[in-house]
Amino acid sequence: MSKKVWLIVLAVVVLVVLYAGGLYNSLVKDNENINGQWAQVETQYQRRFDLIPNLVNSVKGAMAQEKSVFDAIAEARTKYGSATTPEAKVGAANQVESALSRLLVVMENYPQLKSIDTVQTLMVQLEGTENRISTERGRFNDLVKTYDAKIKTIPANIFAKIFGFAERAYFESQDGSETAPKVNF
Amino acid sequence: MLVGAYYNPGKPTGFVNDYAGVIDSQQKQALETKLVQFEKDTSNEISVVIIPSLKGDTIENFAVKLFEDWAIGKKDNDNGILLLVAIEDRKMRIEVGYGLEGALTDAQSYSIIVNDLQPAFRANDYAGGISKAIDDIILATKGEYTATQNSSKNSSGVNFEWIFFLVFGLPIWLSSVLARSRSWWAGGVIGVVMGIILIFVFSLVVGMIASIILGLLGLLLDYNVSKSYGKAKATGGVMPWWFGGGKSGGFGGGGFGGFGGGSSGGGGSSGGW
Repeated sequence: MSKKVWLIVLAVVVLVVLYAGGLYNSLVKDNENINGQWAQVETQYQRRFDLIPNLVNSVKGAMAQEKSVFDAIAEARTKYGSATTPEAKVGAANQVESALSRLLVVMENYPQLKSIDTVQTLMVQLEGTENRISTERGRFNDLVKTYDAKIKTIPANIFAKIFGFAERAYFESQDGSETAPKVNF
Repeated sequence: MLVGAYYNPGKPTGFVNDYAGVIDSQQKQALETKLVQFEKDTSNEISVVIIPSLKGDTIENFAVKLFEDWAIGKKDNDNGILLLVAIEDRKMRIEVGYGLEGALTDAQSYSIIVNDLQPAFRANDYAGGISKAIDDIILATKGEYTATQNSSKNSSGVNFEWIFFLVFGLPIWLSSVLARSRSWWAGGVIGVVMGIILIFVFSLVVGMIASIILGLLGLLLDYNVSKSYGKAKATGGVMPWWFGGGKSGGFGGGGFGGFGGGSSGGGGSSGGW
């Protein structure tokens, strides 16, 4: 073969290597972004976790007969506190979420609670936290979606396999818990 | 998941953007002047946006998306605040950028909504309510950041940029032309044409192989750049770096010069009237 053919082959090889290198770097970056976004979600979970005892303490007195709700919240909190893997955390967080929305629903039966300033402030904070959680979670899912689409399309899928980049899991939230519990005063 | 019907209301023309036409130009000017001055003093960016309708979206989602699109606040401080009002839905929200969440808490936002906005909006006094709310927001956030000179100018080294240009100049230029062209396939055609030229320079076989490879590469490149250009353009967002040209800032007379690239994460509070 002539020299020119080799030049072309070389050019193609260089292009492929450049492409693969660029892809590798971008996948590493994507993965880091997803991890960073997950940390954001966890920050908001922690915030909710810290708010709950305050809320519970300020409404417990007036809602003494609703023991099962408070038990469920306490249990879910303990579970979240001891969860270590992201999967366990998601599960526990979903449980916290559903226990909490139950509390909020039950609280509707105690209209006198809403006139207490501390309760109102706590509810606003809780609402804000739920909204933050859904925002950060939505962004997490967006990042995962883009990343998953990227490593599944030709030709990136071939290189992703070679480099060992696996698909990332979406944030699955429990049915009916996608939207933050709504509080209307 | 929430299937949001978020739509971009348009490009910001100032800190105050009234797409519903509920405040007159004199009131708007007064608000604008206040916000321009506040930005100058503290670098905090407060934007007031009034839209006719949420079109089925929730106000929380709409506010987060709009904040994302316009990037209110400075990039380094995330010190933006969005006061969003949806007239038909009778809903309002104060969305607080990450960097101001400590200064303007959810509870404070809520109290501004309940005490400043709700009563005024019920009396159809939009400008009055917003003006009071702005005063309270300013009060809460003024100590947080100080204005820095020359906030968002590009200051990367000239040398680096030169090398960068030499290495990436041609591909970028090609990308930007291909991206702006309507088609997503022109890159492939250019690739094939380059391959065909190679047939004459080298030989038939080499040219054929080259044209297939170059055609595919061109197609891939064009498809990708066209897609992201279209996306960036549709949202009125910032173009990726490789489009070159950049977006025109529109700095004129010390007024509104565009938002600074801040972000928010769902902080703040919502209400209705």
